[in-house]
Amino acid sequence: MKMTRLYLSNDTSSLAAGAGRLADAWNERPEVQLIRTSSRGAFFLEPMVERDMLNGREAWFNVTPEDLPRIVGGIGGTPVTKLPFLQQQTRCTFANFGITEPLALDAYQMKGGMKGLTAAWNLSPQAIVEELHISRLRGRGGAAFPVWKKWQVAQLIEAEQKYVVANADEGDAGTYCDRMVMEGDPFRLIEGMLICARAIGATRGYIYCRYEYPAAARTMKFAIQKALEAGLLDFDDYPFDLEVVVGAGSYVCGEETALLESLEGRRGVVLAKPPYPAESGLYGKPTVVSNVLTFASIPNILAKGGAWHAALGTEGSCGTMALQLGGRVKQPGLVEVPFGLTLREVLDRFGGGMAIGSRFKAVQVGGPLGSLFPESQLDIPICYDAFANAGAILGHGGIVVYDQETDMVELARHFMAFTADESCGKCTPCRIGSVRGREILERIQSGQGTAEDLILLSDLGETMKTASLCALGGRAPYPVETAIEHFGEEFRQGAKFASRA
Amino acid sequence: MTTRDRSGLAEALEACRPLPPDGPNILKALLAVQSALGHVPPSAIPQIAQALGATEAQIAGVLSYYSDLRTQSTGRHLIRVCTGESCMANQGGRVFRAIQDHVGVAAGRTTSEGRFTLEQMSCVGNCAVSPTVMIDEDLHGRVIHSDIPSLLEHYR
Repeated sequence: MKMTRLYLSNDTSSLAAGAGRLADAWNERPEVQLIRTSSRGAFFLEPMVERDMLNGREAWFNVTPEDLPRIVGGIGGTPVTKLPFLQQQTRCTFANFGITEPLALDAYQMKGGMKGLTAAWNLSPQAIVEELHISRLRGRGGAAFPVWKKWQVAQLIEAEQKYVVANADEGDAGTYCDRMVMEGDPFRLIEGMLICARAIGATRGYIYCRYEYPAAARTMKFAIQKALEAGLLDFDDYPFDLEVVVGAGSYVCGEETALLESLEGRRGVVLAKPPYPAESGLYGKPTVVSNVLTFASIPNILAKGGAWHAALGTEGSCGTMALQLGGRVKQPGLVEVPFGLTLREVLDRFGGGMAIGSRFKAVQVGGPLGSLFPESQLDIPICYDAFANAGAILGHGGIVVYDQETDMVELARHFMAFTADESCGKCTPCRIGSVRGREILERIQSGQGTAEDLILLSDLGETMKTASLCALGGRAPYPVETAIEHFGEEFRQGAKFASRA
Repeated sequence: MTTRDRSGLAEALEACRPLPPDGPNILKALLAVQSALGHVPPSAIPQIAQALGATEAQIAGVLSYYSDLRTQSTGRHLIRVCTGESCMANQGGRVFRAIQDHVGVAAGRTTSEGRFTLEQMSCVGNCAVSPTVMIDEDLHGRVIHSDIPSLLEHYR
């Protein structure tokens, strides 16, 4: 019997959407051979099944086990290249997604993988940093710090031991691209970290992966083993030691100094900077800590040159950004595009408008510390500078759309409660302020709020912004304040507001 | 602690040896203990401190800091409902209330027969197919509140 080869994603979200059910139903079928790939990121179509046809891959969407005869018969498929959601993207870091098997090192190399590392070996450490300088790559974790500067600091310090640490503590709600990289293209992260190790002279690396991502940690461990067996971790005169370390549930551990504290096994408490980790990080040694997506962006830069990267995007925000659509859009999923599209364009073109029955109310960009935008402010370009000028953040690229069902007072309370839960306790304004903020919002929620409460909340916000060491306390007031700014009437509906009117 | 817990604890602590030159990694040790016993009993703190050459306060400090380290055993099945923003936007709150009503305990509690422990969790990165409910190791996406009874039926 002729066997039909079918491609099915093994990504956690694909499985949650039902891909596992398909695999269970079809694994024993003699007429199919299942290849478990990463996901294209078009999650609204998952579970999605692909097969090779004469003119390339065709896909079937939202598949159930009963669809097998249709797929094997080649009936009703859509050419993947004709999918507008994917066709309009510029896939660089996510080029392999949905195509290759995550742990097939040969497939990674066939698709151009390890070319960046080879290029790096032919350059001096200084020249690698210079290439990054030319590329104008900024850290993708949220702080958007120029990557080359961090590397240069670590490179110039003499030390017998240096470290490379991948920040895989992707805690911003609404973000999942790091998880996708680790589960779907793990060698890309390894390659980026190896290039960094070569540039700064590091001998050890850690991937600090959050507890909530067991599949990502598992895949990375397998990939490291494969890279080790293939000799990729052998440097000229020493082996590069790379290890996955799993955290234990703390949002603040995504902040680099807290992450390093946690990596040493302590409470994940934020430390004052300087010294910066690049000077004195893990165990007091020079340490480059960068986000997973940042490391995953680096192989292409070395393979294609810094100028290639600098030509993408806008002047201050070069390259592509992985935007992650969620909430009440019709088409949630991963969108990799050069910086510069407006928020409205992204929501219309890729989000496909609102989900059935939903009317747009607000969109939050940048996770739980990101600002809320009403309809009238959607023409802001997606780039670091425009967001900074608006007092907002792009953060790690999470975009969550809320509809008319969303209670803004409850949402604001949720943000303050989140900060109160996650505050590491180091800075008083964050530790105490978030609790007081939550209490004020609970008072408003119960109908006991007064106009003074909103003033108090605003004062509290200013104190938190100016007197917190890290972005948790410093940014926590923004989603609350933008909710009040744009949806103030919902906050002023309490009995005490009414009695004064 | 049961006799079995005690031997599991001793084994987990033995696996942390030799202590690394940079000092003991308390978090790693506590995760190892939790992996062996299902939780970290507070009564084990003195023994852990002694094995790691740390103070009891240091152990208790790390144990209380991380939300995924638990000091009590869970029921046979651990239900965790995501509270991330995408789940909130997609009626995750309603899903949580439906589960709460169905199992009859509040967040952080275990049902009397020991079948379920209910918890809320921070974003699990499943936002594109939210709302999300995690039961043991299984992640369920696009959960609808009316599906809760049949979903939980699979976990006896």
